[in-house]
Amino acid sequence: MFNLLNTYITSPLDQFEIRTLLGLQSSFIDLSCLNLTTFSLYTIIVLLVILCLYTLTTNNNKIIGSRWLISQEAIYDTIMNMVKGQIGGKNWGLYFPMIFTFFMFIFVANLISMIPYSFALSAHLVFIISLSIIIWLGNTILGLYKHGWTFFSLFVPTGTPLPLVPLLVIIETLSYIARSISLGLRLGSNILAGHLLMIILAGLTFNFMLINLFTLVFGFVPLAMILAIMILEFAIGIIQSYVWCILTASYLKDAVYLH
Amino acid sequence: MPQLVPFYFMNQLTFGFLLMITLLILFSQFFLPMILRLYVSRLFISKL
Repeated sequence: MFNLLNTYITSPLDQFEIRTLLGLQSSFIDLSCLNLTTFSLYTIIVLLVILCLYTLTTNNNKIIGSRWLISQEAIYDTIMNMVKGQIGGKNWGLYFPMIFTFFMFIFVANLISMIPYSFALSAHLVFIISLSIIIWLGNTILGLYKHGWTFFSLFVPTGTPLPLVPLLVIIETLSYIARSISLGLRLGSNILAGHLLMIILAGLTFNFMLINLFTLVFGFVPLAMILAIMILEFAIGIIQSYVWCILTASYLKDAVYLH
Repeated sequence: MPQLVPFYFMNQLTFGFLLMITLLILFSQFFLPMILRLYVSRLFISKL
């Protein structure tokens, strides 16, 4: 007989599985979207970590905060300079809190996902791509609200020869629409691929080290490589959150100033 | 892949966007002005 228990292989995708921890049930309304799942648990953890970073570190509002607050000031300066450089003009401060929120959320979620046996929030393409589509929609609405029909001049690069205009408009429109997906896909697939790579390589090395004493000793070589990949994943987590913000800022600049 | 069941889509979107809205309010109302006040007070002490 085919026995499922004996042939069960742990899939590398298991780590992204959403499980219900606490369920709300009502015979009148469907409350399943408010269930406490692994995803919602980790959103709450991200919120708590960010709250702690900004409330417990202020040293009772003294001029010099604790060392943790200095790290937050460094992040503040980095993102502020980036937004100022990208958007510029008088109104960059209007968009700064939003971009800072994106950065902190993705940054903390990516770093939390690097804890072994935890959960990667930003690898869930459903949420991340919805977020990027909403940013794209908001940008488009902002551009149309500010410039009216002139907004569509964004699709014609300046200095284009007239015969090339129809072709370029099609290409530019396509690339503008593709931004809605590509922003989220870039982050989601990077985190997803990184976590899959780590678990697959670590699983292989673990099985390899279990064979005999020689492989146990020799297995430290691939283990060192996995360590290097883990460091790379930390870097990817931080860089991708910055890339998300820089792209959001440059898309905002396109919508606000049209080139 | 159970994460592709539509029930979880709604759960993810509800909690994800609730988190984003909460964070946006917290940052724009409390945390970023707090850092700005800190910078301004340092500026007043040292340069003005």
